[in-house]
Amino acid sequence: MPDWQRIVRQRLAGLALDSEQARQVLEEVAGHLEEDYQSLLDKFVPEEEAAHRALKQVDDWQELKQRIESARNQETIMPKRVAQFWLPAFLTLSLSMVLLALIQRFGPNPWIAPVSGGRLRMTPVAVVYVSWLLTLPLIGAMGAYLSRRAGGSTRAVFSSIVSPVLPYLAFFLVGLPVALILDDHVAHNLMIPALFVGLSAWVIFPAIALLAGAWPVHFLASRRLASGRVAGN
Amino acid sequence: MIGTGVKKGSAELAILSVLENGPLHGYQLARRIEGQTKGALSFSLAALYPMLYRMEQRRWIRGTWETSSNGRRRRCYRITLAGKKKLSPLRDEWSELFGALRRLARVSNA
Repeated sequence: MPDWQRIVRQRLAGLALDSEQARQVLEEVAGHLEEDYQSLLDKFVPEEEAAHRALKQVDDWQELKQRIESARNQETIMPKRVAQFWLPAFLTLSLSMVLLALIQRFGPNPWIAPVSGGRLRMTPVAVVYVSWLLTLPLIGAMGAYLSRRAGGSTRAVFSSIVSPVLPYLAFFLVGLPVALILDDHVAHNLMIPALFVGLSAWVIFPAIALLAGAWPVHFLASRRLASGRVAGN
Repeated sequence: MIGTGVKKGSAELAILSVLENGPLHGYQLARRIEGQTKGALSFSLAALYPMLYRMEQRRWIRGTWETSSNGRRRRCYRITLAGKKKLSPLRDEWSELFGALRRLARVSNA
């Protein structure tokens, strides 16, 4: 009897699936061919002819490989991406924005940063919501937990939890330069040091606060995963 | 209105309808469809497994490995709740298609 496992393994070599999925697909396809072959033998078809007819079910193994990969992979990538990146990113962004709005309305007054010599300038250069910054580690931890729980990689975890600062980063990198070019009034009032203070207050400090919350969660989850693997071995 | 996915849906309808009567593994499923349609519909291995995997990803069916009495491992497919929900609109769509074709044939024959 032909070694169907070996035949299928050779013809579907390089199947772009994770090792367990690939093993299952090869076993299933080989099992199907074996049953087909066996049923032909039961109908008194000679062995060689039965093997030939069983294999004839697949005209193009390369095409079958691609179709299996497409069926198994493409439709799982999106939900995984959603769970590992988009959902934590959306939740951290929404929660941080809602908290900021609540703190702006009901919370303590913000700290208005002085620019030089500890003296406050006439124009406020950076408004820092300290209470908001203090809540961000919790939001970062929540985002990291959700992303890790869905099997997110380190990159997915950290890129999803910094999403709350992205609108501000976009403002400083794109919005402000565009306004400088197009609007003379903005250019007149702008102080370059204020730009850096604003960037720190709305991008760098919040990002650090989010990462400060996310890092312990990610670290603990990675350790748990590693100890689980050791136990499994 | 008959959707553009009707042709593709025919294979899904066939698989879901057969699995509605009980779990089957891939080879049995292909033979059952061929037998019940007296050979009018048949699935080659190359057509069957990509379709089963796609339907599994959509959670219309669920495959689990089972070991038969002769020790052979097989992956058995079952229709899920989501699959049962999908089956009803698919049947309606196909009824509509056949109704439309019947009406068209009558007009043509008249």
